[in-house]
Amino acid sequence: MAGTRRRTQKDQTRRHLIEVALEQFAQEGLTTTRTADIANAAGVSHGTVFAHFPTQEVLVTAVIEEFGARVSTRLHELAAGSTGLRDVLAAHLQGLKEFEAFYARLVIERRLLPESAQSTFTLIQSSISFHISQAAGKEMEEGTIHPWPIHLLFNTWVGLLHYYLANGDLFAPEGSVLERYGEELLNHYVGLTGVKRC
Amino acid sequence: MKTCIACGMPMTEPADFAMGDITKAYCRHCARPDGTMQSYGEKLDSLSGFLVRTQGLDTGAAVDAARDMMARLPAWKA
Ligand SMILES: [Zn+2]
Repeated sequence: MAGTRRRTQKDQTRRHLIEVALEQFAQEGLTTTRTADIANAAGVSHGTVFAHFPTQEVLVTAVIEEFGARVSTRLHELAAGSTGLRDVLAAHLQGLKEFEAFYARLVIERRLLPESAQSTFTLIQSSISFHISQAAGKEMEEGTIHPWPIHLLFNTWVGLLHYYLANGDLFAPEGSVLERYGEELLNHYVGLTGVKRC
Repeated sequence: MKTCIACGMPMTEPADFAMGDITKAYCRHCARPDGTMQSYGEKLDSLSGFLVRTQGLDTGAAVDAARDMMARLPAWKA
């Protein structure tokens, strides 16, 4: 059917624009990239971008939503087979590595973003905090980690990651912060939270 | 892949669905003990409470974020 074909084509264009925007935002920043820049990079007219995303805010929010859907789905899959807190954190790192440049921009620019985009980011974090709280609850019962409040457990981990990511120019000017330090940060965090057995 | 219409969680295993019923459109965290879906007020309370408990957010900020997220989920879209 012509109608169905037109809809499929429209979906494809939308998906293509989101892919291009993910890439552009990662390289140039979320707040400084304009819809006209996305149109240029995607090789379409500004009108086409406008038809799908009438404002910069709608576009930024849609792209963050797409990033969030991918990271939380990835974490959901990876965490499904795992049991301990360490496995969940390793899965979180793995999911972020795939979008590190974009995620670092998001962390740095969050407070400058429109409110809907900020809420989306909070929602993404809640899918992470959910898996962490599930795994941590079990380990606390077993006495393998300290009985920290969940929010401190979560914020200590995320705070560590975000400090390195936000200052990536100092920690890994040439490449990936998470590739270079991910394992070290994970080991350090597991050491902090773990209860030593005598 | 299905995601919960009321909170957005991915549902990949039968256990993720309300009452383990894969024909349901909402997840186990959005179901009441009897299997029906929570109301808007119940979900807003539980979601913002969750943000406070697991991320340590200020209560007002958590309610604002939860309300904004819910506005974009199929179950609560105007
Ligand atoms: Zn749900």
